Amino acid sequence: MRLEIFVLVVACINLAVVLEFVRRRKLAESFALLWTGVAIAAFLLIVARPVIDDFAGLVGIESGTSVVFSLAIAFLLVVSVILSVHVTRLESRLEMLAEEIALLHGVRHPDEPTADGGDAS
Amino acid sequence: MSPPDPAETLVLIPALNEADTVSDVVRAARTLLGCDVLVIDDGSSDQTAQLALAAGAMVISHPFNLGVGGAIRTGLRVAHQQGRRYAVQLDADGQHEPAEAKRLLDRVATDGADLAVGSRFASGYRVSFLRGSAMRLLSRTISRRVGTHVDDTTSGFRAFGPRAIDTFAHCYPTEYLSDTVEALLIAGDAGLTIVVEQVQMHERQGGRPSSGRARSAVQLMRLWLVILLHPVRASRPGRVRAA
Repeated sequence: MRLEIFVLVVACINLAVVLEFVRRRKLAESFALLWTGVAIAAFLLIVARPVIDDFAGLVGIESGTSVVFSLAIAFLLVVSVILSVHVTRLESRLEMLAEEIALLHGVRHPDEPTADGGDAS
Repeated sequence: MSPPDPAETLVLIPALNEADTVSDVVRAARTLLGCDVLVIDDGSSDQTAQLALAAGAMVISHPFNLGVGGAIRTGLRVAHQQGRRYAVQLDADGQHEPAEAKRLLDRVATDGADLAVGSRFASGYRVSFLRGSAMRLLSRTISRRVGTHVDDTTSGFRAFGPRAIDTFAHCYPTEYLSDTVEALLIAGDAGLTIVVEQVQMHERQGGRPSSGRARSAVQLMRLWLVILLHPVRASRPGRVRAA
């Protein structure tokens, strides 16, 4: 029972932090949903420990804890990869926008006339 | 063919905080090449842009730092928009000699090459054993891919002909090392003619080296990933909109 209470507290802190970030508009709702889901899943996993232990026995893993750890690591790995893909796309968009801004601001012409003799401005 | 008309040529000088040297480089380029000079101010926080304007260059400014590759891409897009037929890249810290840029330009304008790469090896370019080995391996691999022997694949001293400007204005690689090496692969894919010209290079007059040793190693590994995946990769993302 002590473990369940501990996990519940951690899950609640997680939830509170996530909601606070959303309140301050520092976290998009879709990400908030993801991390809220994680908090709920963490709690459910603890409540459902007997089921997990049964499942572990079924697939030949010694303890339910290992199952939970493996799943958690796999999940975090997937999330990290998705976020890296996201960051890559954002970086490339940022780069394009920076170039567009440079081009929209345009070329500033020199104080002296340019080599072709024309008044370039 | 006749020598290039100065008005058809744009000298591209990417510059990040190069206030110490940019004026001299711009003046030397204008005097010796007689072409218009475009300084791509890559988010400098010093007087680079103002000094370049005062020295007679055109200036375009990035809102923040995008790296040499990004600066060259912007420069090539400007060259493309202005209808220039030739472009040559010069370092803002005085490593590249404008007289040598003239020879590179002649290769694209007179000899009809699409991309002229200035190689540093003839001028007694000295590198450490490790770096030398890495450069030789790159040279072998890239040369085989593009069908031309390029001994100095990471040289940023290059001249572009009309077809190269056309190709690269949309897809010049912006990452460190990709801007030189991956660009060669893209040139190969586009069927551009690449020529190598041995050039003299100076020691850098100012500024700092582009990166430390650990970062170089990581960048080199990234570059090999780029090279190995290149044949099966989707092409680079396009523009926000057609220019």
